[in-house]
Amino acid sequence: MSRVWLVIVGMAVATYLTRAPMFLALAHRPLPPRVRLWLRLVPLAVLPALALPMVLVRDGRLALGLAHPPLWGAVVVFVLAARGVNLLVSVAAAVAVVALLRALG
Amino acid sequence: MREGLVASLALVPSVFVYGSVFGGLAVQAGLTPAQVLGMSVLVFAGAAQFVAVPMIAAGTPLLAIIVTTYVVNMRHYLMAATLAPSFRGFHRLWLALIAHLINDESFAVAVARSRPPDARVYLGSALAISGAFVGGVGVGVALGGLVERPERYGLDFAFPAVFLALVAVQLRRRTDWLIAVSAAAFAVLLALVLPGNWHIVVAGLAVSALGARVLPVEEP
Repeated sequence: MSRVWLVIVGMAVATYLTRAPMFLALAHRPLPPRVRLWLRLVPLAVLPALALPMVLVRDGRLALGLAHPPLWGAVVVFVLAARGVNLLVSVAAAVAVVALLRALG
Repeated sequence: MREGLVASLALVPSVFVYGSVFGGLAVQAGLTPAQVLGMSVLVFAGAAQFVAVPMIAAGTPLLAIIVTTYVVNMRHYLMAATLAPSFRGFHRLWLALIAHLINDESFAVAVARSRPPDARVYLGSALAISGAFVGGVGVGVALGGLVERPERYGLDFAFPAVFLALVAVQLRRRTDWLIAVSAAAFAVLLALVLPGNWHIVVAGLAVSALGARVLPVEEP
């Protein structure tokens, strides 16, 4: 089995473990409020922790220059999505900005 | 069940396009069509799949990818716990299968209709959403192979762009901003010193756990 398939099976098992246990236990009691709060905050913390280093870190170094196209793409997608513009439209606009800046630079 | 299907129709086009964008980008990143479709059926979690593909392409260690997937999907615990009481009386085999279809969109549809959510509304929605997603991935896989040199069109930037858009729509309270900005700053610092993309899991878990400990509990 190739490495990629191993990753996929591992991801499938990890994901199923987030879905099935609570569902099958038919949780009679609601989760404690602090645990609910934590589970609500996890994606709020994980998604920026994922996105910002992809935009700001290149080859182990901080890339903060104004001539760095992904920085402008990030501003565009964030502002559009925050204003309620459709997710895919926001992403497409940011991708277009990055492509344009790269073509110009 | 029909009620859930119909209520989800408005979401079907965007889930379909989201799936096809994923399919196209994943093929671009070097996965085979079978791997992309296999992942979409077996994992069936859009955000986590978007997270995993660039990590796979970058040769990130297996364990880091799997743990990151787990953390990105931890929100399912909350949805599973909320949905579970509505499914009393279903056979365990069905429950094991239905659990796999838990997704953000169907959860939102079912909870918006009634509290506690209705099992049949939820099921109808889950069928519509999973069909739209996997169908979209199939189309994306077919189209994705047609684009050469994706970075020329900025397509590599689509991954962080999706994550940023998903964050932007979740920031409602001032404390949400506090969590997101702290996690981002901590992750950037860690990314400069830690190998193998562990900064995502470490920053994500540490900041959310700290937030859950010190922030006031308020039910939505």
